[in-house]
Amino acid sequence: MKNIIEVKNLTKTYKRLKAVDNLTFEVHEGEILGLLGPNGSGKTTTINCILSLLKYDAGSISIFGREMQPNAYDIKKEIGVVFQEVAVFEELNVYDNIDYFCGLYIQDKKVRKTYIKEALELVGLEEFQKFYPKQLSGGLLRRLNIACGIAHKPKLIFLDEPTVAVDPQSRNNILDGIQTLRKKGATIIYTTHYMEEVEMLCDRILILDKGKILASGTNDALKALAHIEEKVSIEVMDLEETYIEKIQKFKNVEEVSYQNNLLFITYKKGNNNVTELIDYLKEEGIHYNKIYSERPTLNDVFLELTGKELRD
Amino acid sequence: MTVFKTFLKVLNKYKGTLILYTVILIFFAGFNIETNDTGTDFVSSKPDVLIVNQDEEVGITKSLVHYMEDHSNMVAIKDTEEARDDALFYRDVNYIIYIPAHYREDFLAGKNPVIVVKSTGDYQSSLAELLLTRYLKLAEFYQIIEVNEDALIEQIETTLSKEPVVEMTSHLDRNQLEKATRYFNFANYCILAGCIYVVCFILSSFKTKGVHKRTIISSTNYKTFNRKLLLSNALFAFVLWAFYIVLGIILVGDVLLSMHGIFYAINSFLFTLCALTIAFLIGNAIANKNAISGLVNVIALGSSFLCGAFVPMEWLPDKVLAIAHILPSYWYIKTNEYLKGLEVFDMDALKPIICNMGVIVVFIVIFIILTNFISHKKQIQK
Ligand SMILES: Nc1ncnc2c1ncn2[C@@H]1O[C@H](COP(=O)(O)OP(=O)(O)OP(=O)(O)O)[C@@H](O)[C@H]1O
Ligand SMILES: [Mg+2]
Repeated sequence: MKNIIEVKNLTKTYKRLKAVDNLTFEVHEGEILGLLGPNGSGKTTTINCILSLLKYDAGSISIFGREMQPNAYDIKKEIGVVFQEVAVFEELNVYDNIDYFCGLYIQDKKVRKTYIKEALELVGLEEFQKFYPKQLSGGLLRRLNIACGIAHKPKLIFLDEPTVAVDPQSRNNILDGIQTLRKKGATIIYTTHYMEEVEMLCDRILILDKGKILASGTNDALKALAHIEEKVSIEVMDLEETYIEKIQKFKNVEEVSYQNNLLFITYKKGNNNVTELIDYLKEEGIHYNKIYSERPTLNDVFLELTGKELRD
Repeated sequence: MTVFKTFLKVLNKYKGTLILYTVILIFFAGFNIETNDTGTDFVSSKPDVLIVNQDEEVGITKSLVHYMEDHSNMVAIKDTEEARDDALFYRDVNYIIYIPAHYREDFLAGKNPVIVVKSTGDYQSSLAELLLTRYLKLAEFYQIIEVNEDALIEQIETTLSKEPVVEMTSHLDRNQLEKATRYFNFANYCILAGCIYVVCFILSSFKTKGVHKRTIISSTNYKTFNRKLLLSNALFAFVLWAFYIVLGIILVGDVLLSMHGIFYAINSFLFTLCALTIAFLIGNAIANKNAISGLVNVIALGSSFLCGAFVPMEWLPDKVLAIAHILPSYWYIKTNEYLKGLEVFDMDALKPIICNMGVIVVFIVIFIILTNFISHKKQIQK
């Protein structure tokens, strides 16, 4: 597998704060790599360093097999970036905004025209071409932000939390768009602190915290790191302490908690855990309402690795 | 081309503001034509002059006093300095000449005694000044060849009588020049406000944090991009200036197609360049659009008031004018004021204009250095 990006021992310090701490990783051709980490974990800083927007203290970065530098315009030509904050001209309408940013890469007018059309289609803004950014809703504005970053058909795309504060409809549109881009052959680096997105979208995931890589691998490989297999929650009214203690001693049970009439059990491993539990509740004549069973999430992995939640 | 095209599109968004400033200019210039027509007839009259003579009125002193009396209106004013200053302020007198004691004696002895004057600085006073200088220049000249005082006086007076004084005013259309000066003085406000406002807003749009970042990471060479942006702005300023010149010709008249017009144009062109550099400085230092529009108002209105763009310079208190020296507008307006009284365009007459323009060039250089300094500092911070 070809490496599109190779980052070696990247370190970046702001005054005293080490924002990125000795990072080493690769990005393979055609994959979506997720950078997952809580606020301030160094995701944006890492991207800015890779793009030569920031000077870093140590390490090396190569893209397409060449060293990345501020004036490496032939590398930059193949890169598209969607920044965390919306970056468009207030004075230009949707079409003209995409036209300007695309025009920074593509000089040919005709080519640009078809590219802009495709970008508008991808993010579903065809009907808003003449709208000014002020007239767009938050979700539509984010879509414009994406279109501006990818209209020139880059081979390598960086998306920095493109779905922050976006309604479900726009979010689905954006996630679909990203998958379409990958199908067309782009390599994508996707940062977020929404683990659901990462699970759904990414081929490989890097979990970052305090500028360090805690773990990396595929979704399944990472979940294996969490020493739990299943999480079950049941709504039970006024459960007595003795029952809870009994459940605690069941096979495979890792932890039991009871709060606000909600019984919460995590299992280390095994199947049929829920059946066994229900049988027991019936036997004791305890009434229960809803039952949910979940596989562990990346949040559990993060919890396992750091002892804190990914999102507060 | 992308940069320039986008520049035009963004500019298009600010056309309202530009139209507003232009309408203000037209309105003001139109209003000026009204007020000036009433003053047409006194333009050709003689200046009001007061001579404070500490010397005895004999010989060369007497001749000088008589010459001035013949060609101007002598006014009588109470014999205190305060009364004289008041008279100057209220335009009861245009020009006061102080002949020192022993003037005649010193002059004949070749000591070049100094004659102090006070003036309102307007057109009338420049007429009086012309009379006085003409007399003194001749006196100096003939003193070298004539030893006898009576013969000297006779020489001066014959020469003076051969050159009629009336001719001085005949070439110029005072009314139009007065209008031209007022038009260009007021344009000080419109050039400053229009130029700074538009250029700063456009710069801040291109340099908004995210948009700027996108430009930096793109495959467009950043230096080329900057150069294109700079040129676009300069082109805009040039068009704005050219438009105001054409507007001036329409509103003021054909005096602007003469030598005077060329100098008004050069002066305003230089000033537009200066406004452009101020705009670059502000645009580079400040990104917040609200702060920019506040600052533009302070700068454009402030320097217009302080430097006499709205009211004639002579009406402003000395203290205000002293402060005004540190503003480019002062030197621009000073040239405009000087131009309206200018008779001939020889090297001597152009010297003050060149000096004023030199000061503006210095301002331009300072602003460019400051802009470079600030943008360099910002880059290091990154
Ligand atoms: N310009 C800066 N000056 C000083 N510290 C900074 C600067 N930019 C970021 N930091 C710090 O560096 C750390 C990493 O920030 P970064 O923006 O990379 O995090 P992030 O993972 O992108 O977070 P988020 O999810 O909030 O976007 C944070 O602690 C942040 O406070
Ligand atoms: Mg970030």
